[in-house]
Amino acid sequence: MLLLANIKKELLLLSRDRVSLLVLFVMPMVLVLILSLIQDDLFRATGGAATTALFVNLDEGELGHEFEKSLQDNGALELVKSLSGKEIDSAAARKSVFNGEYQFAIIVPAGFSATINQSAEDAVRGALRDEKVIPRSSRITVIFDPAVRGVYRSAVLNALQLGVVGLELSRKGAVFEKLLPEELQRNIEAQMGSYAPTDLADQLPRISFDWTNQSLISLDEELASPKKYATLPTSVQQNVPAWTLFGMFFIVIPLAGTLIRERQEGTLTRLMTMPVSNGSLLLGKVSAHLLICLIQFGLMIMVGRFILPLFGTPVLELGSDPLALLLVAVSAALAACGFGILVGVVARSYDQAAIFGSVSIVIAGALGGVMVPVYVMPRFMQKISVLSPLGWGLDAFLDIFVRDGRISSVLPQVAALWTFFLVCLAVALIVFRRWRQGY
Amino acid sequence: MRSDNDIILSTDHLVKTYRGATSPAVDGVTLSVGKGSIFGLLGPNGAGKTTTISILCTLLQPSAGKATLLGHDVVRDAAAVRGKIGLVPQDIALYGSLTARENLYYFARMLRVPKSLIESRINESLQLVELTECADQRVSTFSGGMKRRCNLAVAILHHPEILFLDEPTVGIDTQSRNLILERLTELKQQGMTLVYTTHYMEEAQQICDDVVIIDGGRVIASGEPRQLVAEAGGCDNLEELFLVLTGKQLRDRTE
Ligand SMILES: Nc1ncnc2c1ncn2[C@@H]1O[C@H](COP(=O)(O)OP(=O)(O)O)[C@@H](O)[C@H]1O
Ligand SMILES: [Mg+2]
Repeated sequence: MLLLANIKKELLLLSRDRVSLLVLFVMPMVLVLILSLIQDDLFRATGGAATTALFVNLDEGELGHEFEKSLQDNGALELVKSLSGKEIDSAAARKSVFNGEYQFAIIVPAGFSATINQSAEDAVRGALRDEKVIPRSSRITVIFDPAVRGVYRSAVLNALQLGVVGLELSRKGAVFEKLLPEELQRNIEAQMGSYAPTDLADQLPRISFDWTNQSLISLDEELASPKKYATLPTSVQQNVPAWTLFGMFFIVIPLAGTLIRERQEGTLTRLMTMPVSNGSLLLGKVSAHLLICLIQFGLMIMVGRFILPLFGTPVLELGSDPLALLLVAVSAALAACGFGILVGVVARSYDQAAIFGSVSIVIAGALGGVMVPVYVMPRFMQKISVLSPLGWGLDAFLDIFVRDGRISSVLPQVAALWTFFLVCLAVALIVFRRWRQGY
Repeated sequence: MRSDNDIILSTDHLVKTYRGATSPAVDGVTLSVGKGSIFGLLGPNGAGKTTTISILCTLLQPSAGKATLLGHDVVRDAAAVRGKIGLVPQDIALYGSLTARENLYYFARMLRVPKSLIESRINESLQLVELTECADQRVSTFSGGMKRRCNLAVAILHHPEILFLDEPTVGIDTQSRNLILERLTELKQQGMTLVYTTHYMEEAQQICDDVVIIDGGRVIASGEPRQLVAEAGGCDNLEELFLVLTGKQLRDRTE
């Protein structure tokens, strides 16, 4: 089979091109290391894991603690109350956020319980007596690192808001429970004078306000495309496949490069006078480079499983269907190689191929969610991202890693990748055949 | 004179006009090559030598005319032609990062040399061009002359019936050049037909049985070198005849 001889030659040529190989293998590894580590924190924040915040409680009463407890129960925030063994004050908290050691500090002011209790009483009494009162309010201060992004910031504010509302409600409830009998007694005495029963308060039904904490309505988050973003990936699950695909598509440059070099150096002309088919020439190149892509893939998975965790990221979870994973890897590699051979046929010079190749990969990568995950993109960009083969690959990988995808569930993306490959290859073959016929 | 049976290659009013070109690069070339001879295709730069050879090697479609090689039409029967010809291209067409042996092995496979013969054919080719010693060095480390010789070695691996050589001795040292010329004569003695372009007339006179001189894509003279010189009168050798025919102005490449 001449195909095998062609594959062997391509591998031999590649093995002599150490620099290209180094770039192909090392670039995606470095990128994935850097980006997974950079984004680890971000993904933890948006991915539902708790965010740490400094918590300074200057309140002497019980409400400060109650607030703290409700935040902890809610689970959105992990509170840090002491730094290196020392209880923190508000100045230290401010400084720590300013220095970027923490992104948030929450400060409960002195006299918080007293103020809130007083205000609750004023408010409830005012309500019972139908008087207009403006109760004093107390402030909880939240200090943000200015570098914290908007979404993240509002997530924290929401969690706090929830805690505050809960606290207010339970306070007002408790005061209501206490004031209602007193106010009834007062009203009745005012109207009936001495006829009024003195033990009226005891005869009233007991009112408990425990229900203020019991939520009747819970928000059940469900997205329009239910399966799609139900679970968000960890930074490793996002970045490893993303940069693997990015690296795999960079095969375009050496692959197009070998074809262009053969055109320029005349070896292709020589081959064209020989009894060898166009298919085995082109497929020889594709197969050899496909192998390189798969080695890249294997190395990157190793990085995700064994190297990144050394830096404190979660271990890359591969989902439960290794066969589907392999299928997606092969399909993505084919798409990359198909594109490479097309660029090699269409470009007029190596420089052209290198520039066009890398620019188109960066664009397709950005669209496909390599740099910024698709689910945080604006909606219309999400729609455009459907056009990117890197996006198809990434979507399929994430499906397998995060959403327990199977061969059947990644079939649409696999089919898209294959179609892309076949179209590229077909166009390349047509152009190649025309060359060979000598037009 | 030769009988028609001895004609291994013939063209009939071959024309090639490149896309976008105003005048044809090959303009009605008719020639015939006898089996087992060395045929010289002579002409100044830009005369249309490479274009003619490319058509004969199935690399280019002629715009008009026809060419038959071993009974096969080069356009309609391109596939049949490909296994039977060898081409030594004008430029070195080798993989610089591979060794001479690796290059030869790969091309032997592409030329469909039977696997059992490959080893001996490679050694034979290497011996012929005297590169056995350096066979395991990368071609990129070779001198110009060595590259030219290796370029030739590839084209004879499959013992082609017709070997096309496009300026195989251009720009190399005298030793390599003499070696190549010597070997071409040897190949002819083994029964191979050689079609050979050059603008070195001395060389052509030395080894060619028949020549055509083309200029501007047209044949301006053809025949045996000695006969051509004799007929022209006033010329002592092919070189002088050539200058008389093609004029003395410079032919700088513009492509
Ligand atoms: N690929 C091409 N496209 C357009 N014109 C060409 C091409 N190749 C050669 N030519 C032109 O055709 C003419 C003949 O070229 P060529 O056959 O290479 O000449 P030679 O080999 O005798 O030096 C020249 O004028 C050259 O400029
Ligand atoms: Mg030429």
